[in-house]
Amino acid sequence: MKNLWILTWYTLREAMARKVFISFFIISILVLLVMGLIFGLSNNISLGVSGATHFENPIINVEMMIVSPLASLCLLLAIFSSSSFVPVMLEKGNIDLLLSKPVSRDQLLWAKFLGGILVVLLNISFLIFGIWLIISIKFSFWDFYFLNIIFSITFTFAVLYSLIVLLGVMTKSSTLGMMLAYFIFIILSPLLFLVEDKFNAFIKNKFLKDLIDAFYYFIPKTHELMGKVTVNLASGKAIDNYQPVLTSLVFLILTMGIAISIFRKKDF
Amino acid sequence: MNAIAIETTGLTKVYSSSFGKKKVEALFDLNLSIPEGTIFGFLGPNGAGKTTLVKLLLGIIFPTSGSAKILGGGINDYRVKSKIGYLPENHKYPAYLTGGEVLKFFGKLSGLDGIILDKKIDEMLELVQMTKWKKSKVKTYSKGMMQRLGLAQAMLNDPELIYLDEPTDGVDPIGRKEIRDILIDLKNKRKTIFLNSHLLSEVELITDSVGILNKGMLLREGTVKELTEKKEEYKISMEGNIENLPADVKRDANFINTGCGYYSFKVADTQDLNRILDLLRNNGIIIKEMVQQKNTLEEMFISLINEAESTANASQKESVK
Repeated sequence: MKNLWILTWYTLREAMARKVFISFFIISILVLLVMGLIFGLSNNISLGVSGATHFENPIINVEMMIVSPLASLCLLLAIFSSSSFVPVMLEKGNIDLLLSKPVSRDQLLWAKFLGGILVVLLNISFLIFGIWLIISIKFSFWDFYFLNIIFSITFTFAVLYSLIVLLGVMTKSSTLGMMLAYFIFIILSPLLFLVEDKFNAFIKNKFLKDLIDAFYYFIPKTHELMGKVTVNLASGKAIDNYQPVLTSLVFLILTMGIAISIFRKKDF
Repeated sequence: MNAIAIETTGLTKVYSSSFGKKKVEALFDLNLSIPEGTIFGFLGPNGAGKTTLVKLLLGIIFPTSGSAKILGGGINDYRVKSKIGYLPENHKYPAYLTGGEVLKFFGKLSGLDGIILDKKIDEMLELVQMTKWKKSKVKTYSKGMMQRLGLAQAMLNDPELIYLDEPTDGVDPIGRKEIRDILIDLKNKRKTIFLNSHLLSEVELITDSVGILNKGMLLREGTVKELTEKKEEYKISMEGNIENLPADVKRDANFINTGCGYYSFKVADTQDLNRILDLLRNNGIIIKEMVQQKNTLEEMFISLINEAESTANASQKESVK
């Protein structure tokens, strides 16, 4: 357990040493400054609706309008900045040293996985907490549910990151994992959701229908996690369908299981 | 009798290409036994399988067949590594860390912590003469400095067994001497050192025994003395005129004048040696000095590798026929 913590901490340090994470923070600070400036200059914005329930409050819509594109941008940046953690660890001269220490291979891989998640959690928390603070001060509306976005983005990242870890172990390269994660997030997951949600009824061929279903349930549902699930969590509503969360969690467990199993037997 | 630090039985490693079409036998049926408290030199040309063996012993790669034990434990038990130090060839440290931080990281992974670790870091940096570079980022280090830091890292946890892969690579002659002294000091502290090196003259100076590997096969193993002795050749200094010896004696011994009053001669065995000595004495020659001729480790290594290559080529030609 101690080794796991040491390795996770040093993954965090590795991230701090990279310019891309500083860029992440700079972008976050710029976003917060711009927001603060806009809200500071517009004195007459009043969105509070007296008598409205929490869910109907237009401030939540403002929050979501600001956060939705930012959350996607955060995720894209997070994937880019963390995709090389595993390949760098597996570089010749580095992995030899790590494996010569009394550390199990499982600990090494879990530490890279947890370290990556911790880094993203910190980055996302900084941005989301900043946005929340500005909006809350401006409108005197302290919507704590909004902070749930931190966990939904981090979870979505963890699911995609497990795939990056698996491909990193298999190919010792960051490119393939990063490209596949982007492909799932930007194209495949929204497309499968669209087909499943809108066009499934029109598909008559049973084999094709089953194939699309299988794909839909197997591929992580990042579109729904970042969309419906995040909106529900942020506005304090209950999640009406846990299927996207659970199937994505199964995907994460499966890919990490395969990654560990390969890593345990791999020659370096 | 010393306990055994490293023991391998029929250790074999075959690398396969991605689709298993091409196989490379990196190590074949290696049986090795290295006692504790000794320095063992592992020699061989590039690609002989030296690093493969070290990686197998550290669980960095897995054997195709055979088994090995280190310090009485299995090679797949990662806990035994708390008693091991390792300096790999072309090691890579996180560039954003300072020398001191690198040692702290690896020290913590080896189970050290707190004041004990801090004290040990200072002690090791002092030993490899890197104290003044403790707070400098490793990305600013030269190759020689990286080797010194690597050596400090390998010794940090006070290991019982140390694997060193080309430890003097990139180090200047003075630094090499310092590293040699450190290794001798470690040996005096009853540490076992497994040394992979191309610098045969250095290996010759400090090792107790050596193994010579070529194309994954162990060609010879023994002490430096055993391996460098030319068993049948002697150098002799005599008083008296050798030219006066009977022709049959001169022909028998085949004396070669090596200058400064010394002659070299070859014999078949110890009995033959005594026969020639008796002949000399009977002919009035007084023997002042006699020493058995020796190869340098380098000469022996080159001749052994050439011999192995010629045998392999001959058998290849034979199989083509």
